[in-house]
Amino acid sequence: MMLPPEVFIDALIYSNLLSLLAIGLTLTYLTLKVPNFAYGDLATIGIYVAFTFNEFYSLHPYLIPPFAFITAGLVSLASYILVFRPLWKRKSNIVTLMIASIAVEIALRSMIHIYASALGLRRRVSLARFDEPVNIAGLELPSVLLATTLTTITLVCSLYLFLNKTKFGTAMRAAIENPYLASTLGINVEQVYAVSWFLAGGLAGVAGLFLPFRISATPETGWELLLKIFAASVLGGLNSIFGAILGGYITGFAEVVGIYLLSRPPLNLSTAYRPAIPFALFIIVLLVMPRGITGTDWRRLKKILRGGEG
Amino acid sequence: MEFICAFLTFYSIYLILSISLNIEYGYTGIPNFGKVMFFGAGAFTVGALTSRLLAPLVGIDLSNTNFKIENIKIAESISKTYLMQRPIESLAVFLGMLALGAIIGGIIGWLASYPAIRLREDYLGMTLVVAGELIRLIAYNYDPLICGTFGVHVPNVFGFIKSPEWTFDVVGLGTVKNPLVVLGDTVSDIIKAGVMFTIALSVWFLAQRLMNSPFGRLLRAVRDNEVAAEALGKDVAKTRMIALVIGSAMAGLAGSMYAFYTLTVHATDFTPIRTFVVWVMVVLGGAGNNVGAAVGTLIYLVIERGIAMVKQYFPMLPFDINYLSYIIMGALLVLILMYKSEGLIPEKPPKYTEE
Repeated sequence: MMLPPEVFIDALIYSNLLSLLAIGLTLTYLTLKVPNFAYGDLATIGIYVAFTFNEFYSLHPYLIPPFAFITAGLVSLASYILVFRPLWKRKSNIVTLMIASIAVEIALRSMIHIYASALGLRRRVSLARFDEPVNIAGLELPSVLLATTLTTITLVCSLYLFLNKTKFGTAMRAAIENPYLASTLGINVEQVYAVSWFLAGGLAGVAGLFLPFRISATPETGWELLLKIFAASVLGGLNSIFGAILGGYITGFAEVVGIYLLSRPPLNLSTAYRPAIPFALFIIVLLVMPRGITGTDWRRLKKILRGGEG
Repeated sequence: MEFICAFLTFYSIYLILSISLNIEYGYTGIPNFGKVMFFGAGAFTVGALTSRLLAPLVGIDLSNTNFKIENIKIAESISKTYLMQRPIESLAVFLGMLALGAIIGGIIGWLASYPAIRLREDYLGMTLVVAGELIRLIAYNYDPLICGTFGVHVPNVFGFIKSPEWTFDVVGLGTVKNPLVVLGDTVSDIIKAGVMFTIALSVWFLAQRLMNSPFGRLLRAVRDNEVAAEALGKDVAKTRMIALVIGSAMAGLAGSMYAFYTLTVHATDFTPIRTFVVWVMVVLGGAGNNVGAAVGTLIYLVIERGIAMVKQYFPMLPFDINYLSYIIMGALLVLILMYKSEGLIPEKPPKYTEE
């Protein structure tokens, strides 16, 4: 059976954004080893930054990514400095950090609700009107497809270069790999973690910015996305950027293509059950390969490599 | 008076919830971030079944009615033509459905114990949060359960208290009309709140007895040192499962009480905010002791009501004041975690008798 091109395009746009979000969640998970429940709300901040700049400064949404990146990044950084770092320094256990992250989540979501009400926003946020078709080599493509793909590639490449080719990036990887060893070598682990949280927030902000192109967003949108971000990151193994990208695309395609197939005959399911797909994926991953794609493969690969060398 | 009764009822419901989380997290160390799922299970049970089970008694044939649209009429007609005249049957329905809600909650707890025993805390947290959201989503979209977007109405099992139609025979006096009817709404409210509070108190005493029993010490042993508990021949996995089933049955009970109190069950009511609220209560009061849970619940509800009262002085506020209260609660919770992580009333070593 052939998939209509719209479904494919939709899946690609969605997967681009989901990959960015999964990378960000993985980045924060790598530092404090806590699943950040507030992560989805950073994407919601991106949505409202996009709305604000577009409505009040008439800025075209495609020019807003830097602002969304910085705003959501700063919020993420603030949550790290004000909440997570003090708790981490007090040697709080993981459950405490998780409770704190739920507290941050509820507070952030409430603030966004208050912000939306204060703007008098009764309606949902939509930027669909900016999604003009672009003609490339005889193909009519929605501009948001190109924008998200380019943004994702740019961000992933810059992140890769930053982590692998700069001194700070190397320090960051070292601090994530082994914070104690890194700190004895003079790396400021706290500073490195702070940068991680800022970058993670920034990625969520940019991904959030593009959400209102395809869905009409509310202050709850980011929270509703969290399940999918978890599914994508856990599938990726929660331990590598590469895994997160892979997890994002697999989850995104499984969700969009899956609900397209399920909502057609013979099943005719309501599309409202769409979140059940990433949830099912999440459960299957936990049951079958709890280390995720990269978690399982990397270890085998290392062993094979070691065996080959030694 | 109405305010006090409403407060007491909510206190009772939340007290049971915080005791249940305390058993799971405070005593056994299972971080249940899906409390709302078990609470919802009880409420959904009452919502989905009460009207449907009682409908044949008032001569309504469910097979040719659209339950989704007509459930409000069915619930009303059950309340008016059946339950109002029959206090004993009303109470039987009430207690029977509470028991059923607790059983369903317990069964879901048993299912949830599968991941709860096997997963690390972080993965378990994610699983339970997203599972709770998924159940809400299904309840919202799958009409045969609790009528989806419409919500379902629950027959009023306390209607008989102020019903003039309830009569009974007293030896020597003949047929006597309901004596409570002259006292009006207030007595009805007091009795309702009294029943709820009695149930909550019984749960509290039961939990207190249970946690000071050898079983309670076993739970703490599992929490504090799994390996040592196992070395002493204790079945850690089974212990955690039992704790989760007890906690979930309690949450199911609280959910059923909630449904009978509010008389409507709507999927949108069961958001993770409820889980968060119960966590605030337990952490605030002090995990690992039931007095702490009771105090934490009280403080939380007093603050919440206080904020709601302040609202009256700012009628022009452009946003829902609940959001402000969530922000304050979030900040409060983080401050407690930082500066007084053992809660207001820290856990004490269990009492034991010296021999």
